[in-house]
Amino acid sequence: MQSLFQDFWIHGAMPIQLLLVLVFTFFLYVGGNYLLKKKFGKGVPQFGQAVLIWVGAYFILGYVIVPPIPATLLYTFMGLITIVLFLLLSSTEASWQEFKRPIVDTVTGATPVYRSVRTATFVTLPLIFGFGTYDFVKPKFEEPIELRIVHPAPPQSITVHNRNFTLQTAQNPFRVDDEGNYLEVGHESKYFDNNPFAPDAPKFMQYVREGGAIFFQNCHFCHGDNLEGRGMFAFAFNPIPANFSDPGTLAQVQETFVFWRVSKGGPGLPREGFPWASAMPPWEQHLTTDEMWKVIMFEYWHTGFYPRSWD
Amino acid sequence: MQGLLRTFKKKGVILTALVAFIVMSGLTVVLSLAQQEKEAGIPAQAKPSKPTPEDLEAGKLTYFKKCVWCHGSEGAGDGPGADRLWPRPRNFNQGTFKIRDTGSGELPTDQDLFLTVTHGLPGSAMPPWSHVLTEKQRTQVIQFVKTELVKDRDFQDPDETFTVINYGKQVSSSKESIEKGLEVFMKKGKCVECHGNEGRGDGNATQNDEWGFPILPADLRKCYNFRGNRSDPYNPANVFREVSTGLNGTPMPSFADTLTEDERWHVANFVISLCPKKDIDPLTNKPKISFVLKSTFVSGELPATLDDPKWQEVEPLYVGLGSQITHKPRNFVRLVDEVWVRSFYNTDDIVFMFEWNDRNKSHITEEAKKIDPNTMSEVPPSGRAVADKGVRNWPVFDDAVAIQFPAKWKELVAPEKPRFIFGDAKRSVDLWKWEASSGAKEYTGKGWDSLGFRDDKHLKVVQAEFKDGQWRVVLKRALKTDDPENEVQFDPGYYIPTAFFAWDGHNGDAGRKMSMTTWYYTILEPPVPMKVYYLPPVMALVVVGIQFWVYSRFDARRRKK
Repeated sequence: MQSLFQDFWIHGAMPIQLLLVLVFTFFLYVGGNYLLKKKFGKGVPQFGQAVLIWVGAYFILGYVIVPPIPATLLYTFMGLITIVLFLLLSSTEASWQEFKRPIVDTVTGATPVYRSVRTATFVTLPLIFGFGTYDFVKPKFEEPIELRIVHPAPPQSITVHNRNFTLQTAQNPFRVDDEGNYLEVGHESKYFDNNPFAPDAPKFMQYVREGGAIFFQNCHFCHGDNLEGRGMFAFAFNPIPANFSDPGTLAQVQETFVFWRVSKGGPGLPREGFPWASAMPPWEQHLTTDEMWKVIMFEYWHTGFYPRSWD
Repeated sequence: MQGLLRTFKKKGVILTALVAFIVMSGLTVVLSLAQQEKEAGIPAQAKPSKPTPEDLEAGKLTYFKKCVWCHGSEGAGDGPGADRLWPRPRNFNQGTFKIRDTGSGELPTDQDLFLTVTHGLPGSAMPPWSHVLTEKQRTQVIQFVKTELVKDRDFQDPDETFTVINYGKQVSSSKESIEKGLEVFMKKGKCVECHGNEGRGDGNATQNDEWGFPILPADLRKCYNFRGNRSDPYNPANVFREVSTGLNGTPMPSFADTLTEDERWHVANFVISLCPKKDIDPLTNKPKISFVLKSTFVSGELPATLDDPKWQEVEPLYVGLGSQITHKPRNFVRLVDEVWVRSFYNTDDIVFMFEWNDRNKSHITEEAKKIDPNTMSEVPPSGRAVADKGVRNWPVFDDAVAIQFPAKWKELVAPEKPRFIFGDAKRSVDLWKWEASSGAKEYTGKGWDSLGFRDDKHLKVVQAEFKDGQWRVVLKRALKTDDPENEVQFDPGYYIPTAFFAWDGHNGDAGRKMSMTTWYYTILEPPVPMKVYYLPPVMALVVVGIQFWVYSRFDARRRKK
């Protein structure tokens, strides 16, 4: 369920906003009833109040709160509210009689107005049940749900172009600082706002530039110009290409994991990763290992994530 | 304390508090709405703004992170990725831009550039940047492009004119308007000469743009692929604009002087009427994809011709295709990006109809017959980049379409399937291919590099026809055959994995150079069970019965009283 007020809620201030909504509704309810009592001598009848509260609660829970609550939670709350309402209504005999009155009047047809309401209800109820049953028993053909492991466990080691890489210990040879030493994870933030095409770019940025060229010659068709998995061909594939700008992909894994995925591609996935459906090319068929490492550098630089590391 | 309570109990105070609360909330709502409107777009200004040095610095930073890879460090549309793209990324140097509100040959307004960056250019590699770059970032990067990368013209030059087109009074779409639009399309506007009799862009597929690269007239049946649709593919105003301003740098001229405003609206309504109305997925800007192809049961004969009215009883399935860039030879520029599929089956056979747009009818030439397509290079014979006159610069192969099933799908342990590109060693596929010159052919696929022809002749071509830029092909095969080892056997009610492939012979598509999809499913819909017919009325009657019972109980009680 999408909230109707999605754009009005200020993220992070939900409890205050929820409180404001509840206070506002309470005042509206009490104030409205009070005004009616003043004008007509009596407020909204019990049945009407019960319906108003029930519908109002459903509206607020289902369509006002941001972020939207799960459907099962909504049903739990509404179930509780229904029970509580009935408890309140039946707490005194007088209140219960007053609540029942509109129902009894409708069924027995006490006045012409009630009689037309009765006719309308007695006609629409069977229709609703009839169509509901039809909807329930009619065969629907929807895509079977298959759950794929997005980050399957990588193998201990892989062989790419006749070289062996132990995934736990291998390092990206192009992840270097200005002196050419290995740049520890976390220290590359100083390069995040650099221009890779600057003529005096440090070594790190030169490799990023080369990686970017490779990316935009091979990868962006699927993974997109902003690395979000929304490339030109992404719409045709299922599963869709990985979204690197989402913190759930690159940021969760080590560089060697990415190296495994890039070099071995879809066919290199274990069974739980659905190798038969993945359009990810085995890039060892097209790129050298150097090119693969540089592309990985570019991807982390562009998205601003750090790879997972042991320290 | 009592005094305070008494004061609060005074009706006036409560009422005032309530009113104040409502007014304040109302104000907040109104103000945030107003704020939103303002954020939705910069008010249009024809006169280009002058950037500040901070704008240029920030814009340059954004450009060299996000844009340079396609558009190049000098903005000449020659970034590292450009050679494998068609259409090519824009060359900014000449200040030639397609999608504008200004007159033919004029520079675009700031708003035009802003909207292009915001919405992207569907049908090309330019994505929407709305959710990636803030409004300010987009404005700044545009300032950078205008100032530093447009080199042959100057936005601030007093000689530059910016005549924003007049949209006039929009003529809403109607049967009459569409008919008038068709008139204009065929006669006065002569749109048919480039865009084709049925608007599939097949009128003239041999043109080049201002830089000498191949350019194809738009396929008007795919409005979601229109460059200028600005995330609103079914809005005729977009077409009105392109017709009025012309697309600079392309053979599409401006019709502002040759067609009246009304005529341009009629043509716009006509063009939009050509596009199938589908639910557009906002993430891909393409029709939402359903991965299930339903084959409907027919109790008698299956449709025997392309024009059999039975085909109109089912909605065709939209199948989106990407390029095969997984194994060599890779196909970076694919021209067949969608196929529409329908299917029927009866007790004996199953038929599939494939419809797809192709600007050229391609039959394999003698020269091409000598080539093993899987050894073709990924760049055209000229040796130059794919997009450098490349879309046309290939030997001509057959147009083709294919549908693929796992040969022994019933034995698969869910969710396992064969590899979608022609199967694998453990699980083979049955591939049905239709080629323009050789008709129906069946293959067994045991891997991406292992596709073997089977001379079975079980697959039949019911009818195949190319007309006005569209292929329509109907294939038929028996549900069951005598070779369950290699040939797919159909059973109703099961989800049978299915994949699709297509080839455009004029694009150098052959062998593994093709358009493809990953796994869909075909389900042969079992006939509707009887319970769907009798259960709903029974339930309705039961409810009526209950209603009578309730009424009689209440009535009895009332009478007792």
